[in-house]
Amino acid sequence: MTLNEFLPLAVLASSLLPGLIIFALPENRVGVRTTLNLLAALAKLALVGILLFGVQAGEEFGFAYAVLPGLDLTFKADALGLLFITLSAVLWLFTTFYAIGYLEKAPHRSRFFGFFSLCVTATMGIAMAGNMFTFFVFYELLTLVTFPLVVHRGTAQAMRGGMIYLAYTLVGGALLLGGIVWLHSLLGHTGFTHGGVLATLDSSTHWQLQAIFLLLISGVGVKAALVPLHGWLPQAMVAPAPVSALLHAVAVVKAGAFGIVRIVYGIYGIEFAQSLDLLTPLAVAAAITIVWGSFRALFQDDLKKRLAYSTISQVSYITLGISLFGPIGTIGGLVHLVHQGVMKITLFFCAGNYAETLGMHKVSEMAGVGKRMPWTTVAFSLAAFGMIGIPPLAGFISKWYLGLGALEARMPWVLAVLAASSLLNAAYFLPILYRAWFMPQAAAWPEEHILMQGNRETARLLLWPPLATAALTLALGLFAASSLSPLEWVKLIADREYLTWTP
Amino acid sequence: MDALIIVALVLPLLLALLVLWPPSRPLAEGLAPLAPLPALLLALAAKNGLALDLPWLLLGSRFMLDETGRLFLGFTAMVWLFSGWYARGYLADDPRRHVFWSFYLATAAGNLGLCLAGDAASFYLLFALMTFAAYGLVIHSGSAEACRAGRVYLVMAVLGESALMVGMLLVVHAASSHYLSDFAAVTPSAAAITLLLLGFGIKVGIPLLHMWLPLAHPVAPVPASAVLSGVMLKAGLLGWLRFLPLGGAALPEAGTLLLSAGLLAIFLGVAAGLCQREPKVLLAYSSISQMGFMTLGVGAGLQEPQLWPVLLPAVGLYALHHALAKSALFLGVGVIQASQARRLVLAGMALPAMALSGAPLTSGLSAKIALKNGLAGLPAPWAGLLPALLPLAALGTALLMARLLFLLARLPPHGGSGLVAPWWMLVALGVLLPWMQPSAAAGIAVWANAGWPILLAAVITALVAHRGMAAPALPPGDILLGLERGLQYLHRLMQR
Repeated sequence: MTLNEFLPLAVLASSLLPGLIIFALPENRVGVRTTLNLLAALAKLALVGILLFGVQAGEEFGFAYAVLPGLDLTFKADALGLLFITLSAVLWLFTTFYAIGYLEKAPHRSRFFGFFSLCVTATMGIAMAGNMFTFFVFYELLTLVTFPLVVHRGTAQAMRGGMIYLAYTLVGGALLLGGIVWLHSLLGHTGFTHGGVLATLDSSTHWQLQAIFLLLISGVGVKAALVPLHGWLPQAMVAPAPVSALLHAVAVVKAGAFGIVRIVYGIYGIEFAQSLDLLTPLAVAAAITIVWGSFRALFQDDLKKRLAYSTISQVSYITLGISLFGPIGTIGGLVHLVHQGVMKITLFFCAGNYAETLGMHKVSEMAGVGKRMPWTTVAFSLAAFGMIGIPPLAGFISKWYLGLGALEARMPWVLAVLAASSLLNAAYFLPILYRAWFMPQAAAWPEEHILMQGNRETARLLLWPPLATAALTLALGLFAASSLSPLEWVKLIADREYLTWTP
Repeated sequence: MDALIIVALVLPLLLALLVLWPPSRPLAEGLAPLAPLPALLLALAAKNGLALDLPWLLLGSRFMLDETGRLFLGFTAMVWLFSGWYARGYLADDPRRHVFWSFYLATAAGNLGLCLAGDAASFYLLFALMTFAAYGLVIHSGSAEACRAGRVYLVMAVLGESALMVGMLLVVHAASSHYLSDFAAVTPSAAAITLLLLGFGIKVGIPLLHMWLPLAHPVAPVPASAVLSGVMLKAGLLGWLRFLPLGGAALPEAGTLLLSAGLLAIFLGVAAGLCQREPKVLLAYSSISQMGFMTLGVGAGLQEPQLWPVLLPAVGLYALHHALAKSALFLGVGVIQASQARRLVLAGMALPAMALSGAPLTSGLSAKIALKNGLAGLPAPWAGLLPALLPLAALGTALLMARLLFLLARLPPHGGSGLVAPWWMLVALGVLLPWMQPSAAAGIAVWANAGWPILLAAVITALVAHRGMAAPALPPGDILLGLERGLQYLHRLMQR
């Protein structure tokens, strides 16, 4: 096995092995578990760094294993996969820190961190999957290993949320499997290739390809929370804050969106998808989701529920960008994959801080919290402004490219959707900020678990992760044009996806 | 000079952060009034054509200084400088003054920076920074009135930002470039023009989009009112100058729209202003009216591009004149309340008031004549309409200013110290302005033409005051009340 074959496996193993070891650890071995968690996250980050340098230099990293003749598990760390891997690896590190702080002294920590590591393993597998079969295997694995995390608290409400989550995602998985089998029967393989693999098929199969597209997109659309397949997401917010953060920013929702990316770019090819008239319906579905999610968010008093509806809306920006034919739309969609993750994880970290520190779960309880928890609220404000799309934050960059991409694709109506979404985002985020910063504290905090210690508003491990991701939200926007930004990386991907495109 | 651009952009922001950190607070508060100084230096000393590319910033940023930018940067920096000096005294006893300073400096960073912005994204960033940071100025007092004004301000600001985002994207797409210097050559779609007219129009306060202004400007602390009304409205004007294809293709519909909006603003501003009891609200309405003159200039430029070379300097001069006069008037409101020598201050206030009315030997007359010369090239019906209406507008302004002086004389006293010097400096700058450049605004005939509306206004005011007649009262925000009632009604309807 060469190094280039070994590295993708090492990326998988760097969370799989620690996960398995943690399961075996007794509950009270806190030091070992913490060390193992952090070492694994750092090791993965180092591996990802090597891969990034390699891919930039034109190296190819891949590994294939034949399960059955004609059915391969293939892993490939290409530029697109690495975008998702890097995002996951970076945010996993922050979330690990956060979860250690969040679950301090809570029961069942070995179980939690075990599944937590497996969840990241599944995400890595999805990102590096080289064909639909491999994608499917890890996609379903993700469903199974996130379920225990969603119901971690074990309350009746958590169990109910978990069951709804399972029902939705398993049905989605079935649809996806149907599509993959059909595709396999037509094509003989399901490998991802730049520019797609279907354009060579006979034109008599085109109706089948359209039907397969519907099946595949419905399958991954459940996790991507496309309306009307989104019902599980607001229920799943019963999960502990670090899980919600991971679910909404990196793992589940993002896996769905990434699936759409792979199906459109790797299987159909963006140009062929356009010629089959698949992109406009996808754009319409994304647009409906964007507006509906934002609209529903307006009426949620539960902070995490409001954030959940916000996710439904924001993740569809990615789908929208993909469905805009032209490299600029692609850039907008793919860069939002990263930007949405960083912003949303910040918001969920902060929501967790409010709940853990002051027992605060509702927007209506937040009056005056800016004075009590200024740093958390600064982080929350930055991410919220980013979501609205105010410069110089990450969301602005996404919106700028999506808007220009819509014009390039001759779909100016998308601009109205973006503007409406910005207004709705402002309408459900700004009142929170107003309450937090400008209103005086109305009543005693619901349940103050963590008291002020000197100038420190909450536990260190709860405070630093959101501050770091909030700073990242600012940096991703402010330095978007620098050569190290995700935006530049995404431009590289877009260059490779459009084979015959001329403006 | 490149370093000076960066200092001018970063210094106010840096101080805005330092003022929040207790250990650095005293130092930052001390330096805060000086924050616009690098920008002023830049406006006075730098060469035209200065450009600084920062390809790693945002979407690849460019900062530049051209003739228009220099003018706007110059008066913007001056007004921020004197208002900051004034704020030192005005807020000396305010326990939450560090919060004020932080928002004040962030707003200044946006307002000064956007004069230097050379690309759409940087302009949008700095415009948004100015707009959202100014919210903190509007609600600083924390009163119920201020919170309501803040809410209206924020709603309008968010609507404006969204319109601008879409409008800018349309322009950038049409130009295939995000540099402002490439926009003059393209003719954007009607949708783009409309969105830009409305988006920046909210800031300028064109009729029907103006209702936030008479609420927000007066509730802010006096030095904040001065910058809000004196220079931040001009950021919207600069937006028009930067993004509209002025001097390029003729856009008759947009031109007609702006010319009508300008005329309407001039007269409605005066009419609504005359019905006010509160000097700061009156001044806010006067700003709506005065921005109408500049709107006329931009409208004429859209309609008749060949007039733009004459109109641009006229609009610029008008903006400069109004910035100095209006901020002096706002600052004066606080000075009068704090002063023992009321008559002297009132006499001082009469100077910018006369300038706004376009009295002989004032900056107002130079600006008005320059604008009139530019507008003279318009075709019918404007060719007949404007010469007939503009003297009436001058009469209206003069009446409004007379009413202002009348209201000022009756203001109850209020504490404050250290306000007089910055105010006098601004008044003096306004007085000196017409002497700094050669002007066509001299000669007996010109003065007589400019003088009669003021004399007439004086006579009317004397009569009205003698008879003890009172103007009908109009609540600030005028049409907003109808709008709010309508919304409440709709809300009730939906709940049924």
